[in-house]
Formats: sequence, structure tokens, C-alpha cells
Amino acid sequence: MTIDTTMKIGIDLGSRKAKFALLDGGAIVRLADYDTVTFYKRFGRVIEDDLLLDLAGSGLFSAEELAVASVTVTGYGRNTISMRGARVISEIRAHVAGAIVQTGLKNFTLLDMGGQDTKVALVKGGRLADFVMNDKCAASSGRYLENMASILEVSLDELSSHWEEPVPLDSTCGIFGESELIGQILRGHPVARLCAGVNQTLVKRVLPMLKRFPGEKLVLTGGVALNKALVRLLQTETGMVSIVPPHPQHNGAIGCAFLGSGD
Amino acid sequence: MSRIGFTTTIPIEILIAAGKTPADLNNIFITSDKSQQFIEDAEVDGFPRNVCGWIKGIYAAVLESGIKEMIAVTEGDCSYTKALMEVLSMGGIRVIPFAYPLDRDPQSLKAEIEKLMAHFHVGWQEVNAAKERLDRIRRKIREIDRLTWEENRVSGEENHYFQVSASDMNGDPDRFEAEIEAFLEEAAARKPFEDRTRIAYIGVPPIFSGLYPFLESLGARVVFNETQRQFAMPYDTPDLVEQYRRYTYPYDIFHRLSDISEEIDRRHIDGVIHYVQSFCFRQIEDMVIRRRLDLPVLTLEGDKPSRLDARTKIRIEGFLEMLGEKHPMVNS
Repeated sequence: MTIDTTMKIGIDLGSRKAKFALLDGGAIVRLADYDTVTFYKRFGRVIEDDLLLDLAGSGLFSAEELAVASVTVTGYGRNTISMRGARVISEIRAHVAGAIVQTGLKNFTLLDMGGQDTKVALVKGGRLADFVMNDKCAASSGRYLENMASILEVSLDELSSHWEEPVPLDSTCGIFGESELIGQILRGHPVARLCAGVNQTLVKRVLPMLKRFPGEKLVLTGGVALNKALVRLLQTETGMVSIVPPHPQHNGAIGCAFLGSGD
Repeated sequence: MSRIGFTTTIPIEILIAAGKTPADLNNIFITSDKSQQFIEDAEVDGFPRNVCGWIKGIYAAVLESGIKEMIAVTEGDCSYTKALMEVLSMGGIRVIPFAYPLDRDPQSLKAEIEKLMAHFHVGWQEVNAAKERLDRIRRKIREIDRLTWEENRVSGEENHYFQVSASDMNGDPDRFEAEIEAFLEEAAARKPFEDRTRIAYIGVPPIFSGLYPFLESLGARVVFNETQRQFAMPYDTPDLVEQYRRYTYPYDIFHRLSDISEEIDRRHIDGVIHYVQSFCFRQIEDMVIRRRLDLPVLTLEGDKPSRLDARTKIRIEGFLEMLGEKHPMVNS
């Protein structure tokens, strides 16, 4: 890689969190995130169909950084909103680039699980070869884990630490799953086993997508990759080596920043 | 002239020969400005949410349009049609069943066609005369298709429209033919498209709108509309029974795939969009399609009539980027 001293900002506007990355060449200078709704309310507005983000007002970047850095954006608003002064790229592109940059791998299956979206991509020779994405239903997403943690009255960290002896949960619907879980609480199952059951359900939902792209290495990104129990269960179910890059939640933002070199 | 509705393409030569006005109920449903309302009406009447949107749309379209007699394709399309037929017959609609034989047996197909002919009191002479009349129009539609893939002068949506309309000739063959002729004259003089990516669209026609222009806004164009082309009877077969035997849509996926593969090669396709309808049995066939086609396949799912949604757009963009990706994304 040639030495690159260009400052590059990458922004990934997710359904739950807005993620930011500042790169100096290939090196990560800063990572940050905001609750998406809070961020839009405080620093976003739409003028003539263009999204304007008050990056200076957000305090995430200095005036000097904003003056010299390129800005590349991806995220849920990709199609509905174009952002002024920024290059907009597709989510799949941003996530694959982020995973390649963060892991140094060129051949792998990527599983990105965010607040609503689950994407599975096959990367061959550093190139996107195929991908699938959840559609019509978001029961296989981070939001499901948040809801279930709240029903169980445990933190996401707590939920993420259990994988042994999962209590089977079978609802197709993430909302009906809540009442099913309540029923299982009444039966007196320990919380640890119920947490494991929730994690196991998520794995079962993404397996059909993962089975399309079998390989040796599975790179996990998105907020859900911070769930250690899930990573372990996935490894067991798929037989693939699971790799979580250093910054799974900021993977899209890092990918954006990296691709923003003005090529 | 009385209008005869039908649930999917049937030998309309028989209706034309009988002096009836053919009405493809799918077209009535999807082109109505009340198409979204139709789905809600059907659900209010008791159709489950997890049933194909086309069935619900057809149901409401029949009631709304005042059609009193219709042909229901009971074999070769989905089994939802059978229950639809039962429900509509209870409402006083006269329903005539028509079955494409699963094994494409010529004798069975001929018997089905002759049964339909007997119902409408027409003989082979009138039916063959109607076929000649319709084949003239179909040849002109074939020219529109050729201008699409060979000369690149026709958009994916125009290609879709003229071929999909061939199922009922928009209810008026003469007027439709005049429309085709005017279009051909205009299109032949156009500057060719300069798109980068050539797409095959396979599966039933989309229930959502805006797909074709969206693809074109990203430098890709549909140059093969599989099912729509089938509705336009593309093989120029002199014999009527043989024509509806070669017609691929109502038969097995392998019969369809042989046509798809041939056209993919001939039209130099870069990628395939397989459209599937929510709750349709054809979603299962996606597995076969993915295994049998060597090209990248993007499977899109549609449920109700609407504009192309943001999620589907994200997936299309990613797919087109993937097709256009000539170099590794990140050099390291």
C-alpha cells in the first residue's frame, strides 16, 4: 500500500446508530457513534431532498479535519436521501471494504448484522462475488436481541454471554417471540438458558443465508458481532472459523472512509 | 361483445374466434389506480395476509370490473387459483376451468383446448383464422423485443409493456396493433442506449413499479423479460397445440430454464434478476434456478403493489456494483 496521508471521513447511518470513522491514510484516527434518532434530531435536516448534516456542530471532528477530509456516506437513507458535499456509496460495498481493511483477508464470507439488516456476502480475491440480505422481515437483527433483553430484564452484555443449553424458541415472528419467551419464563427456565435460547434463535434465522456461501472463514461485523455467545454458536453451527475484526460496529464507516480516497 | 376474464395466459385465439373481448385479470388489477385498495378489499373479505397478492388483486378486480364469466387456469399455475375459483363461483361468476397438462402431453392439451372451444361454440377453422390474425401482431411484438436486445433502442419497461399486454391484446387487437406500429416507427429511429450492464428479468411480472427505470438510472437495462416474452408466444409455431406446448410458463422449471439459458447466451446477459412473489410456490424454484444458471442471480421479492422500496433498491445497487466490479475493492 502506498503511504497515504489524506484525511478521510466515513459515515454509516444505520437504523439504530450513526457511526463515524476518521482515517489518516490507512490508519484509524477516531471512531465515534451516536444514537441515530438523536443525531438526526440535533444535527440533521433535509433541504430540497438533500440531507444536510452539521458535522462541525456535532463536535465529532475539528474544523481543520473537516476542511481537508473527504466525506463518504452509506446507510439506510442511501436511496431516499442524497447528502450534500459527500460521496454516497452502497452499504454492501462499504461493509465488504471495511472487512477487507480490518482483517486483511481476501477470501471469506461476511455476516453483517445490524439493527434491522442482516447481510451475507461472499468475498473472493478481495472482490464481492455474491450477497444476500434479509427482506420483508427483521426478526434476524440486532433489534430482536434488544427487545428480548428488555423482556428478560437483562443487559445486552448479559444476554450476550450465554450459549449453553438453549431453551428452544420457535416463533417465526420476532414480536410473537416475545410472548413465547414470557411463556418460557413462567415455566421456570433459568435466565441463562433463556438468553442462550434467544441467541440460538438468531443463529437459526441466519443459517439459511450463510449456507448459501460456505467457506473456511466467517467475518462477523455490525453491532451483533459484539455478542460473544452468538459468535460461538455460529462457529459451532457452521464449522467455519469466526473472525470478529477489532471494530465490528464501525466496519461500514471504516469501509466508507477507506473508499473515499477520491479514486 | 362480452368480456371474458382469465387468471393467466390461455389460448385467446378461442375467445377472439368467438367474438369475445379477452381480459387478463392480472392486467386489470395491476393497471388500476385502485390496485392497493383491491388487496385491502380482498383481505377484508377474508383472504389471508399470507396469500399471493395477485390472487387477491384478481379477486377484487373481478368484482370491481363486473366481469361475469372467466377462465381459471387450474393446472400450470398455482393452487390458489382453485380456491379463488370456488369463492368467485359462489358470488355468481361463471368460472370455466382450463388445465395445462403437467407432462406437456399433446393429446391432453388438445383435449383441453377443444373443451374450451366447445364451451365457446367455435371450430378449428375460426380458431386458426384468429391465430393467424394474432400471430401477425405477435411478430410485430417480436420485433420490439429484437430492438430491445439487438439494437438497444427499447427500454426494459417498454419491452415489458408490449409483451405482457399480448396476453389479452389489451382487449382490442386492432387498436393494440396500431399502438405497436406507431411505437415501432418511433423506436427504430431512436439513438441506442449506452448502458453498461445487461440484465435478464425472470419470473412472473413484478407487482411493484419503478424497477426498470431504476435499473436504467444506474446504467443497467433489462434486455430479456422472460415471462412477458412467453405471453407474446415467441416461437412462431404454426400449430396451435404445439404453440401452447412450447409456451414455458405453465410447465416445469427445467422446461423454462432451457428457454432462459438460450436467451441469456443470445442476448449477452451479465446478471439475472429473479423476481418472486411473496407466498408463491415459485420461490422454491429459486433454488433450482441458482444451481442451474452460471450467472450472478439477484432474487427480489414483491408482496403488494407499491413503488420500489428502499431496501430493494439497496440490494439492486449492491448487485449492479458487484456486476460492474472489475477490480478488487481494496488494494493492500
